[in-house]
Amino acid sequence: MQTATLPTPVTQPRSAPPEPVGTGVRSFSLTINGAEYELNVAPWTTLLDALREYLDLTGTKKGCDHGQCGACTVLVDGKRINSCLTLAVMHEDHQITTIEGLADAQTGDLHPVQQAFIDHDAFQCGYCTPGQICSAVGMINEGRVKTDADIRELMSGNICRCGAYPHIVDAIRDVMQLNPTAQ
Amino acid sequence: MQNIDSFTHVRGESLYLDDLPIVNGTLYACVFGSPVAHGRIRSLDLADARNLPGVVRILTARDIPGENQIGGIIPDEVLLADQTVDFWGMPIALVVAETDEIARRAATLIRADIDPLPVVTDPREACALGQLIVPPRTFQTGDAEAAFADCDYIFEGRADSGGQEHLYLETQGAYAIPLENGNIRLFSSTQGPTAVQRAVARVLGLGMHKIEIDVTRLGGGFGGKEDGANLWAALVALATHCLRRPVKYVLHRMEDLRMTGKRHPYTSDFKIGLTKDLKIRAYTASLYQDAGASADLSPAVLERSLFHANNTYFIPNLRVTAYSCRTNLPSNTAFRGFGGPQGMFVIEAAIAKAAEELGVSALDIQRANLLREGDAFHYGQVADGCEAEACWTDAATRYDLPELQREVDEFNRQNKLKKKGLAVMPICFGISFTKKWMNQARALVHLYADGSVGVSTGAVEMGQGVNTKMVQVAARCLSVRPERIKIEPTNTTRIANTSPTAASATSDLNGKALQLACQALTERLLGVARARLQAEEVSIRNEVVWVGNKPSDLGWNDLILEAYQQRVCLSEHAHYATPGIHYDPTVEKGHPFAYHVYGTALVGTTVDCLRGTYTVDYVRVTHDFGQSMNTIVDRGQAEGAIVQGIGWMTMEDLRYNADGRLLSNALSTYKIPDIYSVPPVLDIHFLETAGSDYAIFRSKAVGEPPLMYGIGAYFALRNAVRAFNPSSNLPFDAPMTPEKVLLSLYADALVPTPEVAS
Repeated sequence: MQTATLPTPVTQPRSAPPEPVGTGVRSFSLTINGAEYELNVAPWTTLLDALREYLDLTGTKKGCDHGQCGACTVLVDGKRINSCLTLAVMHEDHQITTIEGLADAQTGDLHPVQQAFIDHDAFQCGYCTPGQICSAVGMINEGRVKTDADIRELMSGNICRCGAYPHIVDAIRDVMQLNPTAQ
Repeated sequence: MQNIDSFTHVRGESLYLDDLPIVNGTLYACVFGSPVAHGRIRSLDLADARNLPGVVRILTARDIPGENQIGGIIPDEVLLADQTVDFWGMPIALVVAETDEIARRAATLIRADIDPLPVVTDPREACALGQLIVPPRTFQTGDAEAAFADCDYIFEGRADSGGQEHLYLETQGAYAIPLENGNIRLFSSTQGPTAVQRAVARVLGLGMHKIEIDVTRLGGGFGGKEDGANLWAALVALATHCLRRPVKYVLHRMEDLRMTGKRHPYTSDFKIGLTKDLKIRAYTASLYQDAGASADLSPAVLERSLFHANNTYFIPNLRVTAYSCRTNLPSNTAFRGFGGPQGMFVIEAAIAKAAEELGVSALDIQRANLLREGDAFHYGQVADGCEAEACWTDAATRYDLPELQREVDEFNRQNKLKKKGLAVMPICFGISFTKKWMNQARALVHLYADGSVGVSTGAVEMGQGVNTKMVQVAARCLSVRPERIKIEPTNTTRIANTSPTAASATSDLNGKALQLACQALTERLLGVARARLQAEEVSIRNEVVWVGNKPSDLGWNDLILEAYQQRVCLSEHAHYATPGIHYDPTVEKGHPFAYHVYGTALVGTTVDCLRGTYTVDYVRVTHDFGQSMNTIVDRGQAEGAIVQGIGWMTMEDLRYNADGRLLSNALSTYKIPDIYSVPPVLDIHFLETAGSDYAIFRSKAVGEPPLMYGIGAYFALRNAVRAFNPSSNLPFDAPMTPEKVLLSLYADALVPTPEVAS
């Protein structure tokens, strides 16, 4: 059962990864959750990859990388956006808020939408949750929601495979203090 | 009790595989998958890929030091194709590179010269060609053929149900880290840590003890990561073994969709015989399961289709044969329900067929044949604690079934272009792994000297709340606050030989083991307390030792410290095996399930008869939870399962072309339920039942059974379509997509497309 001999280790020198295929690197900074981050990445790096792979902000999730699931939703100047469908380099002058930046930085108090998701058990596996919460915050900012049907329509870009949808509607309705029977 | 992961979930702090900090020197892998569904490999051209800067190594079957084999039940699944390819996307080579981007780019530079072979994507065709994974199995009771002679009505038909993509939002992935002496630590997004460990050890030719599997949590599994996770783990482990460097591979969504197996599509023939009083006297069926290219878990899935062929009805004469058919598709695998839903769809179709032909309501036939206490299932087990009628009666009364039916009839009388449909879906689902030996679990509990508690079990948290339930078990058994308890990641070095987190049985098995561990520790602690307090009648209540009916001044922390200083063992590793279950496959009889879960759903739909679009208006359920230990978690499980079941039966339309290439290869072409497609009314009534001794705290298993309520959506839609077009001769062919609804509404007006000469 034991290995008799181990394979020869790779003797390649440890060096920085070679240039990404195609083009060079751009240096710029992003303002995320109120803090400045310096980035040196290829210009085609998506905001999602910049957050996850270069800035260790892994709260934002990659579900499909095609703008079809909503798991990567973040807020750019208060507006919700699929971070997989936009390039990091395009957001130099914007205020980016991710799930890590929603709670009060001083007190640690949760954002009301975060708290409502807890109160209403609006998740199961949790993988879509950061995107759901950022999307809900963005939707509330848009000021268009009057009814449950509006919530369902305007949150339909965020997929939850566990099917926690009824609780997500409950949580958002609660935050917005909507009448559950409003049509 | 609230989900213990709530706080980290909403702050984005819950760690999934792809969130783990990267170890220095990590390489990235990417599969080169077959560009055809079936063929013989002539040659492989790796030169261009090798020459790409940043590519470290390209591994093929020749690099495998152990066995090129990851088949779980049957050794028919290679890790990397070497002679033939059997499905589109089948891994042929693994590129390992300095970055993810380079690995992916290099994979596109590999060329394979493959002689094409005939592609089979239809299970009936595969069966006719003799392409069976295992010999067919037949379950029978009574004499169905003879009983048809006594029937007043006999109906025959065909019922097909489609596959279902798991679409866990976290794709498959694995991350291997080399340790000293050739050992490997592997982080895997798997429901079956031991299955991964076994597969990796086999491929590397190592003992299982040299491979450590660690799982913190999954971003959804639904069965897709039961055996489905083995491949990716074995690939990165192979790369780590060959290169002695950390290697990570997280699949892109389209790779995951292309290369992983789904819920098995089934195509079936049925024959049902009834007497004048609508009692089902005889039922026969042949089920053809599309297993895909290899066995994977298909034989076990097939078995459960046979167990649940009667759904929740007593059928005295039954004979069902099931064929597991090998096709050139990715190997289909476990998916919530595990073949049960597919078997149940056929009997429900048979009942619907009988009802439609007889001009009666299907629910009259359903109601007349519900299982009763003491009825024998066709596999010999006797219904014990049967709640079938109790659930039906409660649902029918609570939600006023006659009034709902009247509303539908009235609406349909008054509306021409919109029609409503109602269906009742009673369910019965057996709880236990159908392989007896898998019904075992272990738990390891450490009481640390400061009074905090560490708990390890074989359960994998994937959103079903099992860790929350484990905290509840430990808190209740030790009589301590939940805040003292930490549930450790599932790890094969702490808990060995785990059964996968599957079959709805995980909370029962691991909870029972944990209960035993806590009881053993409590006994020891009470011994310490007796000595310290010089009293016999001692107990622990809410972290305080009581003497008789009075609290003493000995609290939990002091008790633990005292025990530690007395050199009492503060750790316990307990083992649980479900008693009383047995099964003899030579006669297909036994007592395979610890208990059954029952329930009834009323499902209402509205069809837009101009457009074919529809809504599921309500699902109103009475479900047998036993004595639910966590109504928050259990409600979420039931609702989520219903949504998934509706998805399977209505909108999730998996399409392969004749060449075996997946067409529904993204969320744009494969539609799953979104927040807008969930029924606005989703009522779950918890029927108070006795539960079962074999369920942890008599709280019945909940993961899979409610999924089958979704089958009701299919039949409710069918009823709505028939209200518009009574003459429509609808095939039983799920999913009932809006396209199919539209074509059914106007079936008579359809002009067949002329054959185009090719």
